[in-house]
Amino acid sequence: MMREHVPDSRPSAPVGKGAIHIEQVVKVYDPDGAAVLAVDHCSLDIRPGEICMIVGPSGCGKTTLLNAIAGFHSVNSGSIRLDGEMLCGPGKPKAAPGPDRIVVFQNGALFPWKTVLENVAFGPVMQGKLGRKQAYEKARQMMADAGLSGTEHNYPGELSSGVRRRVEIVRALMNDPKVLLLDEPYRALDSLTKSVMHEALLEIYYKNPVTIFFITHDLEEAIFLGHRVVIMTTRPCKPKKILDVDIPHPRDYGVLTAPRFRELMDETIEAVHEEAIKAFAAGEKEG
Amino acid sequence: MQVAARTGQDADYTALLKQSMPFQVVSNDLLQAIVGASRRVSFKRGDVIYEHGEHASDLYVLIAGRVEHVLGPGAAAANIMRVLGPGEVFGWAALLKSQPYRLAKSTALEDCECMVIDGKSLLRILEREPETGNVVMSRFATMITRDFTVPQWVAQVHSLAHRAQTQQLTGIALTMFRLSKWLRSPRPYLMVTGFALFIGAWYLAVEVWKLPRFEQLPGPTSVLKEWLSKNPVYGTSLFTPEYYLDIWVSVRRVAIGFCLATVLGIPLGLILGWSEKFKQYVFPIFEMLRPIPVLAWVPLAIIMFTGLETPVIFLVFLASFYATALNTMLGVESIDESYFRASFCLGASRWQVFRHVVMPGAMPYIFTGLQISMGVAWFSLVAAEMVSGEYGLGYLINNSYTTVRYPTIIIGMATLGAVGYVTSALVRLAGDYLMQWRVRELALGGNA
Repeated sequence: MMREHVPDSRPSAPVGKGAIHIEQVVKVYDPDGAAVLAVDHCSLDIRPGEICMIVGPSGCGKTTLLNAIAGFHSVNSGSIRLDGEMLCGPGKPKAAPGPDRIVVFQNGALFPWKTVLENVAFGPVMQGKLGRKQAYEKARQMMADAGLSGTEHNYPGELSSGVRRRVEIVRALMNDPKVLLLDEPYRALDSLTKSVMHEALLEIYYKNPVTIFFITHDLEEAIFLGHRVVIMTTRPCKPKKILDVDIPHPRDYGVLTAPRFRELMDETIEAVHEEAIKAFAAGEKEG
Repeated sequence: MQVAARTGQDADYTALLKQSMPFQVVSNDLLQAIVGASRRVSFKRGDVIYEHGEHASDLYVLIAGRVEHVLGPGAAAANIMRVLGPGEVFGWAALLKSQPYRLAKSTALEDCECMVIDGKSLLRILEREPETGNVVMSRFATMITRDFTVPQWVAQVHSLAHRAQTQQLTGIALTMFRLSKWLRSPRPYLMVTGFALFIGAWYLAVEVWKLPRFEQLPGPTSVLKEWLSKNPVYGTSLFTPEYYLDIWVSVRRVAIGFCLATVLGIPLGLILGWSEKFKQYVFPIFEMLRPIPVLAWVPLAIIMFTGLETPVIFLVFLASFYATALNTMLGVESIDESYFRASFCLGASRWQVFRHVVMPGAMPYIFTGLQISMGVAWFSLVAAEMVSGEYGLGYLINNSYTTVRYPTIIIGMATLGAVGYVTSALVRLAGDYLMQWRVRELALGGNA
């Protein structure tokens, strides 16, 4: 059910940079000569500055889409544009990874051999945009804004997983990215930490409104965070249903008990459940 | 509210504390100290234990009963209210750096008994064993991050945990602290017992029972007598310069071979792991040469290199080189793909990825490789010295055998063991020095 008209009460995402235009993307994997269609003519427009939640059964190909945007994988046909600029498309199957689109990984990818401060300052220092001293200064500032002061000289291994995820998001934001690509970043966290992380993410987002492409299969998470929730079909992956979450931002955990929230949950559960059954029947590997 | 008379139940309280999440790691000594510093306080049903906003100096451990814990306004928490049961800890605002007021209200739901500990005394007790103390503090931090999202409070806890870390001893004081802790643990005594049993069995087998085939061997007393003698019967003891010459020559050969292998093996391993193409060229040859035992190289080494010194060093180098290069390569391959992806996302160039991801990421494997490399260096040294060479511990052993100086064989072997142990320990120390991140990670996991 695509919503054709846009009522004024719709939660309007802040206008800015970071519009992703995905057009007719096809991705075929070819392990051992057996072609597997992972993404099939998938088209999706992500509005600048919105939190777009991508929901689908495990192994449906949503990570493939993320990898194509980030530039880790090539696509077989179709194109992806960021603010009109072609990332990949005809003649350029693979996008180049870069600091305008930063991925936050499922299991976290803070470098364990660098202190938190060195991790956060990594981007600007590597790109030569800031000197080491200025980068550390900026990193300290951004960490203080995110309530992470005091952890600068710890190594990631000394921190709780919740704190590590927040540090990783701050590390991404240090580069003023247009898009954050989150691949089930909270999957490994327990539900209590998760709820803390959601509010922390929103708090950071309200201060730094970037486009967020967020993969999950937690429906509550999807509806709580997203401006829109895109439900994907199981492999091959393409949007099945796009849901506008008409609960105004800023949100907090009180939203979870709002009647509108339950309605939206009900609306989504059915669609997702159908795909989950299909995926289960097909015996897709989780991942 | 009434303060209960001290009962003889301290042991029970210690056991209770041991069950309690933040204190599980704490040693019994420390737990007893904590119990000793605490008071027992009873509350009647409906008593308010503390109010939100009150000054916070004490930490509570619930012994019996149930307590309702309601967070005050401003605590953007997932669950505002919780009911606590026996063994649970509350009132940890007493541990925060500059948050000396209560963040919640606690009420006794039934008649309760609590262990009440002054926050400052608890910190002082925890500082006695900074390592476990830090684990306790980080567990408190986890509890607080789990309950709250107010960033200032979370930051408070972390700076506290961090402060505890920077207060750790350094330099000689730290070494002395570790030494005294080691001496208080059963480890050194078990080690001494192990040695005693080993030497005792040797002594009995050779000198007392004179078991068949064993009677030919020198016993521990004759070896020790020879080793410590100013005028050794067979010419080698702690007081003869020849002994030190042999050690020096062997150490020098191992050092040169090992260093060459490290300097060449690590870069080769890094490139093998980093460049798929280079690996396809080189690795098959490498894998073909690697299984050839070092001893099989002896004739070729003597033909290829002139003199007595270089063939031996070459053999040492060869064995070390394979171990170092192979482990370094495996180290690069063990690095999680997401670290590479993350660094490309953050705009690092290929060289920067090599410098900041490949090299440090392979480090744990490299040092495992260097440990193995040091072991095989000594192994091939002795093999090479037995075949060719002049001086050296391997030469000493072999020469003592042909000239029937049996106690000297044992002296040579024991010396090899000791020197080999020291060199391995040096490699391990260098590894710990270069990989502080790993040492600290392992320490938190309780493995250090």
